[in-house]
Amino acid sequence: MEAEKYAGKILILATETCAYPGADAVGQGHQSYPANTYLLRVKDPVLFPEKFYLDCFAKGVAGIIIMSCGVESPYPGSYEALARRIDRVYPLMKAKGLDIRRLRLTAICTVCTRAFVNEVRQMHDLVSELGPPGRE
Amino acid sequence: MGVQQNLKFDALVLGGGIAGLEAALNLAEQDFSVAVVEKDASIGGKMIRLSKVFPTLDCSSCITTPKMAAAAHHPKVTLLTYCELQSLERRGDELVALITQKPRYVDLEKCIGCRQCEYQCPVLVPDAEQGGLAARKAIYIPFSNAIPQKALIDPENCILCGRCEKVCPTQAVDFFQKVEDFTLTAATAVIATGFEMMPLEDKVQYGQGQIPDVITALQMERLLAPHGPYNRVLRPYDGKEPDSVAFIQCAGSRDQSMGVPYCSRVCCMYAIKQAMLLSGSLPLADLTVYYLDIRAFGKGYEQFFQNAQAMGVNFVKGKVAYVEPGEGGAVRLRYESQEAEGGVQVVEHDLVVLSLGLLPGWTPGASCALSTGADNFIKTVKPKLAPALTELSGVFVAGAASGPKDIVDSIVEAGAAAMEACRYLAARGFKAAG
Amino acid sequence: MAKKKKKTEPAPEAKVGVYVCHCGGNISDAVEVDQVCQHARRVPGVVVARDNMFLCSDPCQEMIIEDLKSGLVDRVVVASCSPSLHEATFRRALARAGANPYVYEHANLREQVSWVHHGAAATEKASRLVAAAAAKARLLRPLESIRVEVQRQAVVIGGGVAGLKAALELGERGLAVVLVEKSPFLGGQVAQLQRLAPFGETAAEVISELTGAVLKHPAITVHTCAEVEDFAGYIGNFKIKVVRQSPAGAVYADRLARLSRSGRGLGEYVPFVGVMPAAIPEGREEFDLEAGAIVLATGFRPYQPRAGEYGYRDFPEVVTLPELIRQLAAAEGAGDTLVLNGRLIRQAALIHCVGSRQIPGVHAENEGGYLNEYCSRTCCSATLYAANQIREQYPKTRIFDFYRDIRTYGRGQEELYTEAARNGTLFFRFEAGEEPQVSRNPHRTSNPLLVKVRDVLTFGEELEVPVDLVVLAVGQEPNDIAHLVENLKIPVGADRFLQEVHPKLRPVEVSVAGILLAGTCQAPFDVGETCAAAGAAAVKAAAILTRGYVELDPFVAEVDLSRCVGTGACVEACLAEGALALVNLEVEGQMVRRAQVNPALCLGCGACVAVCPENAINVQGWTLKQYEAMVDMIVSDEYLEERAEG
Repeated sequence: MEAEKYAGKILILATETCAYPGADAVGQGHQSYPANTYLLRVKDPVLFPEKFYLDCFAKGVAGIIIMSCGVESPYPGSYEALARRIDRVYPLMKAKGLDIRRLRLTAICTVCTRAFVNEVRQMHDLVSELGPPGRE
Repeated sequence: MGVQQNLKFDALVLGGGIAGLEAALNLAEQDFSVAVVEKDASIGGKMIRLSKVFPTLDCSSCITTPKMAAAAHHPKVTLLTYCELQSLERRGDELVALITQKPRYVDLEKCIGCRQCEYQCPVLVPDAEQGGLAARKAIYIPFSNAIPQKALIDPENCILCGRCEKVCPTQAVDFFQKVEDFTLTAATAVIATGFEMMPLEDKVQYGQGQIPDVITALQMERLLAPHGPYNRVLRPYDGKEPDSVAFIQCAGSRDQSMGVPYCSRVCCMYAIKQAMLLSGSLPLADLTVYYLDIRAFGKGYEQFFQNAQAMGVNFVKGKVAYVEPGEGGAVRLRYESQEAEGGVQVVEHDLVVLSLGLLPGWTPGASCALSTGADNFIKTVKPKLAPALTELSGVFVAGAASGPKDIVDSIVEAGAAAMEACRYLAARGFKAAG
Repeated sequence: MAKKKKKTEPAPEAKVGVYVCHCGGNISDAVEVDQVCQHARRVPGVVVARDNMFLCSDPCQEMIIEDLKSGLVDRVVVASCSPSLHEATFRRALARAGANPYVYEHANLREQVSWVHHGAAATEKASRLVAAAAAKARLLRPLESIRVEVQRQAVVIGGGVAGLKAALELGERGLAVVLVEKSPFLGGQVAQLQRLAPFGETAAEVISELTGAVLKHPAITVHTCAEVEDFAGYIGNFKIKVVRQSPAGAVYADRLARLSRSGRGLGEYVPFVGVMPAAIPEGREEFDLEAGAIVLATGFRPYQPRAGEYGYRDFPEVVTLPELIRQLAAAEGAGDTLVLNGRLIRQAALIHCVGSRQIPGVHAENEGGYLNEYCSRTCCSATLYAANQIREQYPKTRIFDFYRDIRTYGRGQEELYTEAARNGTLFFRFEAGEEPQVSRNPHRTSNPLLVKVRDVLTFGEELEVPVDLVVLAVGQEPNDIAHLVENLKIPVGADRFLQEVHPKLRPVEVSVAGILLAGTCQAPFDVGETCAAAGAAAVKAAAILTRGYVELDPFVAEVDLSRCVGTGACVEACLAEGALALVNLEVEGQMVRRAQVNPALCLGCGACVAVCPENAINVQGWTLKQYEAMVDMIVSDEYLEERAEG
């Protein structure tokens, strides 16, 4: 099962109104992307505290892509609150010796299929290069 | 062929575009049963086919799909797609519609939308959903976010090779499906039949569709859509990125010679929007809009127009008289300038978009006792106090069926039409079955 | 309102059933479904894992229902196509089995696995997603949709066309309506007009029809001279304090004088006044109203030009379009030249976009430091209608029309433009920032005013037009409703009009649920558009009111009182005004401050969840613990066969 090349697990937090249907659209187009990606459907990623991200890395998750609705969030103000939180997560990651590029905040819409695949590929390349979390 | 069955609803909504869906959902939210009769194989109307929408630049699919899904899942809403209205008449307290179910040649109940048939089908046909700029198969799901996600066969192009039938895991393909007529009775109806864009072929002065790099605004929508035919903006003639793009406004509107003296109301804003989106995808391209009057009248529209000017989109006051092929795929325009020295100017652009006017999506003709205005759109009888009221008691109209209208105005009107229909039902003792 | 007293700890007895779909090969061609089932059986809490060719088919739904009914399972995971297609289908199946539809979790193995991945990697991913779904399912609890009882009455604020129309629609729908109007009159700004563009209906017929129906409607109560003083509550249960008293100052003196001159009585339409339905109250009266929904129809006021703007106030011959309409109604004589106030009007200039389409850096700010950047939408047609009316009635009066763009967009409007061109109205086009200049005509013998313009239509020629009258086509500005805005906590846009949630998704709703927008409080509209907006607002209000209750998704925040220590962090983070508050509660005999959710207002976004130091607040059905359990399963290798054997 173990591949020669490290393919750490990438967690994707995808909003149910934007990025989740966007990922479905990628599927409908049969555009393949790396399989080390695990997509969790969320109402809004503003729900997750700083600790959640750090815990994920501690558990061995190699990269996290937050796919929000951006400023088109159905919850007015949530994107701004989320962005502020992520800004607070970065120094905490640094303190733990984690490369902050392992956590990425994006906005993906229901038909943003290319953007979805690009984000996934970039994170995949990054975690392959960095190796398991905490070893960079 | 005999009439197969009779369906009964509180309300009939004719047209499953954004206005029809909004009207249906509003009726259903008051617990009235609603049938949505849609001529296409998917609901969603014109809006689901757009890239982004003005003035917010929201992705159109992201705004349309929630309403499409809400209608599809609502227990009080029944979607009847790929159905053509034959007649609609009042019989006493009831409206009786005779409807034809066109054959999909695929069993709607059995099909699971897996597209195996589509992959196996050897026939390639220009895909109208992509403005004819990409291909589809002879058996196909209309487009990626179609509802229902069910296949249909295009009998004009099917070669009856049977591969789809063999590969279908649910035996849903049925080459022997027939046209079926049925009647549908309802107490009230909302006409939301929308618009069609004027055919490119109609405008002699603009090349009648024979110049490859003269395209329609709907084709430009597809070029700009993230899931469009090329995944980026290329001109059809040689697949090059255009360095200069022109928009010709009032192409077939405000034009007596075309029989369309009215303003089509949305073209200014969609052209400005397309120019803005192009300035994002082709940052170096020159973008020019040739116009008579910019009609940016809705909420936030004028500010949107001012932003486009600030972003460097050129707005040239002048009526384009003639469009002809230029060198190497270029398009030559002759226009009467209202600026600087004026006079007739000749310019070349790599790609020209015609902001074509809007025509009615449906005209009742003999099928129904509704009449139309001089503009051929459904006539309303009380445009000030009750804009949804038609000549026929219990029949209301919403959206572009009663004249060109943008999405916001169509949605608001659909709410008003649904309100009229609800109170019409309430006055006739219809109790919402809540 | 539903009261919930549930613990948030997992149910140890949870029995999860996992059902994996082949989708006729769509999933099983890329994913080893057998293996996924085998893996699933090793996941804690999973009691059964089955696969089938088509799970969505009736027999398979029956199979799941049987498993639930027999007590074999009490949590369900379906792994099939996207939840957008069949989540609702399977939730309904659970309901048919007599189970709670919310003890269900979906794993997306088609759009997000088999259609995008291949080989062993696809199967591994499928197994992990199914395990994650099962881990979440194990922590799911039954949820009830939130039912909010509704006061079956609507309050409409504003008695212009929008308010009257909304009230009438709701009354006709059989719902109780109270209409509150600040002034002594019904009819709003439309009553200040004569004939309406483009079709020429009279304001009298439009307003009389509405007020006639409203005032005699048994379900509608009208209060004039009444203002909203205070406001509390939420969707379904608003409480509004209204004060009714004689209007302060002499704001309505002109209209009251017109009314008394007219000799008409209460309830009758008087031009440029409207309809006064009741006498002005003597004293001050306060009363409370309850409402399930509120329709705001506070309307607009015409832009008032600054002194000196286009010569306004400097020259008596410069008037606004509403002023012209009043003067036209009183115009004397039937000659072929217009006479206003005893003055012969041989030449008149109409200037568009006064107080509209103002551009930062080009135009001077209005008093109050703002610009009206928007188009007022109605003035082009109204102006051309007036031009045509004058040309038709007084053919010797010449009209000069100064415009930037003619925006006759609507049905019947382009015809006004064509007609104006046909009847000899002369058009001059100016650029923004090069507005026509109005000055005293130095040649005292001829027309008193001179309009100078650089005309685009003649390629920038500087033209001077001597005229007897200048008419300013003034735009629409929102009424000053600062007090109401503050009380109701509703958002206002940069254009100072009330702001809808989303122009397409929710065009007549504001961020406060249950409050709806009708007409020109939202943006400039003409009468037909206003009535459409009023109908749209009414249909949303009716949806809230007709059932007597509203049912909301159960996915809202829930406080775990065993954990809450009352830090208030959640209240601060909350994005929905009023959805969370700290309240005094008795816990084990002691009064303490604890967070409390108003499920009717909670949006379920989870902004509160992230900030609680005790994880004492969670969104039902989407808890942090559930997400953590999912991540644990995604990173775990324990249930994968190879690992277990190796």
